[in-house]
Amino acid sequence: MKSLSIVFASALFLVASGAFAEGAGPTDAQIAHIVVTANQADIDAGKLARSKASNKDVKAFGKQMVTDHTGVNKQATALVKKLKVTPEDNPTSQSLKSGGVENVKHLKTLKGAAFDKAYIDHEVTYHEQVIDAIDKTLIPNAKNAELKALIVKVRPAFVGHLEHAKEIQATLGK
Amino acid sequence: MNAWSGQRNGRGSRQRRWQRLAVALVCAWGLLSAGAIVAATPGRHTVVIEGTRFEPETLTVKRGETVMWINKAPFPHTVTAAGVFDSHDIRPNRSWRYKARKRGEYAYSCTLHPNMKGTLKVE
Repeated sequence: MKSLSIVFASALFLVASGAFAEGAGPTDAQIAHIVVTANQADIDAGKLARSKASNKDVKAFGKQMVTDHTGVNKQATALVKKLKVTPEDNPTSQSLKSGGVENVKHLKTLKGAAFDKAYIDHEVTYHEQVIDAIDKTLIPNAKNAELKALIVKVRPAFVGHLEHAKEIQATLGK
Repeated sequence: MNAWSGQRNGRGSRQRRWQRLAVALVCAWGLLSAGAIVAATPGRHTVVIEGTRFEPETLTVKRGETVMWINKAPFPHTVTAAGVFDSHDIRPNRSWRYKARKRGEYAYSCTLHPNMKGTLKVE
C-alpha cells in the first residue's frame, strides 16, 4: 500500500517540482485538468469504499468523499465552461490518473479490516499531498481570479477531510 | 419642436420612466434573492456557509428571532447542535431557517465536516 501512496505522492511532486514547459508552473488550463483529475481519483476510491468498507465510519467517509469531490468537480467544470477554458492534459494529471487507477486496483484485492486500513491510509496521504500542491503550486500559479478563488474556497474542505481521515485512521488500529 | 416630435418625446419619456421602474423592480428582486434585504431585516439573521466555514462563526440574536443558514458551498453541510437543532443535509444553494425560542449559548457544527464549528447565542 505504501508503494501506491508513493506513486500518488510522486504525481503531486511533479506539480510541486515544476514539471511543466518553459520552466513555469502549470497554466490555468492545466490547473483545471489537475483539479478535476485529482477529484475524480478520490471519487473512484470513495465509490469503492462506499460499497466495500466494513467499518461504518470508513463507509460513511467514502460516501462523503464521493459527494464532496463530485460537488467540487461540478463547480470546477461549470467554471471552466464559463471561462471558455479547455482543461489541458499534462504529466501531473496523467500520473494522478494512473495512481488513482492503481489504488482502486489494489483496494479491490483487499477486504474487511485490511481494505478499511488501506483505503484510509491512502486518503490521509492523498489529502496531505493535495493540500501541499494547492499551497505550493496551484494557488500561486492560477492566473484567473475565479479559478484561484475556487481553489482557495475548497482548500478548507480538503483540510477537513484530512483531519477526519486521520481521526478514523487512529481508531482503526484499536 | 413639432407635435410629432413632442409626442415622441412624451412617449419616450414615459417609456424611460417605465424602463427605470422595471430596472428598479429587477434590482429589488435581485437584492431580495441575494438575501441582502433579508439580512438587513430586524429579527432576521443570515449565516453563510462557504469555504467550509460558517460566516459569521458566532452570531448573537434575540429570543424569537430567525436565523437562516445559506449553503454556498458545492456540497452539502449540516447545522447541528445536538439535542437543540439539526438542519440535516442542506444541499448546495439551499438554506435552512431556525427560530431561536430559548435563551442560551449553543455550539453547533456540521456533522459531515466536524471541523466546521459555529456558535449561536440567544439573548
